[in-house]
Amino acid sequence: MTFFGLVVRNLLRQRVRAALTLLGISLGITTVVALGTITSGLKDTASGFLRTAGSDFVVAQEGAADLSFSTIPVERLAPLAEVPGVADVRPLLLHITTAGGNPYFFLIGIDDPVLARHPPALVAGRLLAPGATDEIVLGTRAAADLGVGVDDRVVISERSFVVVGTYRSGVVWEDGGGYAPLATVQTIAAKPATVSVASVYVASGTDPVAVATRIEADVAGLVTIASAGEYGKVDQGFAILDGANAAISLLAVLLGGIGVMNTMVMSIFERTREIGVLRAVGWTGRRVLAMVVLESLLLCLLAAAVGSLAGIGASRLVLLLPAVEGFIVPAYPVSVFRQALLVGVGVGLAGAAYPALRAARLLPMEALRYE
Amino acid sequence: MSEPIIRARGLGKAFESGRVRAVDDVDLDIEAGELVAIVGPSGCGKSTLLNLIAALDRPDAGELTVAGHDLMRRRDLDHYRARDIGLVFQLDNLVPSLSAIENVEVPLFGTVRPARRRRAVATAQLASVSLSERARSHPPQLSGGERQRVAIARALVNEPTIVLADEPTGRLDSHTGALVLDLLDRLRRERGVTLVVVSHDARVSARADRVLRMLDGRIAIGDGS
Repeated sequence: MTFFGLVVRNLLRQRVRAALTLLGISLGITTVVALGTITSGLKDTASGFLRTAGSDFVVAQEGAADLSFSTIPVERLAPLAEVPGVADVRPLLLHITTAGGNPYFFLIGIDDPVLARHPPALVAGRLLAPGATDEIVLGTRAAADLGVGVDDRVVISERSFVVVGTYRSGVVWEDGGGYAPLATVQTIAAKPATVSVASVYVASGTDPVAVATRIEADVAGLVTIASAGEYGKVDQGFAILDGANAAISLLAVLLGGIGVMNTMVMSIFERTREIGVLRAVGWTGRRVLAMVVLESLLLCLLAAAVGSLAGIGASRLVLLLPAVEGFIVPAYPVSVFRQALLVGVGVGLAGAAYPALRAARLLPMEALRYE
Repeated sequence: MSEPIIRARGLGKAFESGRVRAVDDVDLDIEAGELVAIVGPSGCGKSTLLNLIAALDRPDAGELTVAGHDLMRRRDLDHYRARDIGLVFQLDNLVPSLSAIENVEVPLFGTVRPARRRRAVATAQLASVSLSERARSHPPQLSGGERQRVAIARALVNEPTIVLADEPTGRLDSHTGALVLDLLDRLRRERGVTLVVVSHDARVSARADRVLRMLDGRIAIGDGS
């Protein structure tokens, strides 16, 4: 019999109690994993949007609450194009609206010459015609959701558009939306002479980071975003989600820890005489402590595994909701599962601390006399 | 003459803030290989004396040297209990979730590695108490006598020099009790261990090399030497 085998045997003695404890911790870890995978998916999607049509980074309004709330007067873009190292600028007006059953349709306003210079990968049809006002190029996902194809008409924000082409970029938000003439979208969004963001292309051989730094220094009121990590400059949503995830993790450790502690304390009380016997036959307090801690850790690591699987399942279930489908693609980075593991270990150690110390400090005779 | 394996001088242990002197000024010498019976009425202190020798409790006063270890000063008593002492309790005190063989393995965790070797040592020990065929049985599936034999195997598995038994036949019928005593006596002779038995059982006294009778915490008859 190995020490680990003994630990497993001890856990299996009260199967129902161990299973219920495991279930409780698993629920906390399920929440951590589900929220983590959805947040990661959102970040991945967001960072994909930053590089649409091969751009190097995006410029947005400093202090905006969200990219779609970012408002940059068109005249502010002129100095941007003058910054050394900037090869081209692609102004976009983002307007989230309802189209068909999709409440998160990304209507992207863009000037037709700009779209022609930096087009998404067309699947069918063509790009916007020069001077057109009621044309739209739809992402393949949006076209499929709306059940339309090239030459069909589609109503978005009470405005009728002719679908002139479809594209696939691989970016969920972009494929779930469409490109329409900038002036038309400015009218729909009631944002005349403004754009939300501008994709920036740097000159060949130029360091994008250096250009971004120069833009932030030279052009007041604009920030550059090159990665999901920099989204916090304009969007507190990710920071809030990260904060919520951390709080839930902490709560899971706290509540799970209390649950595990309760289980382990009951187990130690029930086994007091037995621990006395172990001490009487020569077990050290340290070995008893290791046994209790390992029992707790094993229970919590199992819960972390179960919770991780359930978390993946939960995130997939959430993403089946029509309101969310097509807006987020879940991502399963190692960091989320590492966090689940850390929560499991945290719960295990927090829950084991008191009962393990109590068990280790029991005097043999005191434990043997225990009734 | 060789040093006694157990030597106590002025040994004392009190409970309830000193009001109850369970062991009071006991002098005791036990030679290696002896079978010593400690008898006396309930509450006379015989189990407490045994617990002090086993280092399950700390004496309040006096000197106590066992197998060369000064128990008044020694700190790593776990190590001493694991290697030098074998304990047999009145209640077998087996771990119910472990099989007979696993119960015998328990004291080996700190002394024998790896697990395969522990199993081999425990198997041999269980065979020495004629319980090989019950190795996989759990305590609730064993009779009282079988459980006590498992407990004896557990006590002997680290090959201690001293075995301390507290009422080993106390919960057994007379026939089973006699078998357990036969076993303890046989193993003592075969292995040359010192056996100290606390018992009300007259048969224990009959087999003992020496009988110490305790009364009110003191050795009344059959002195320490």
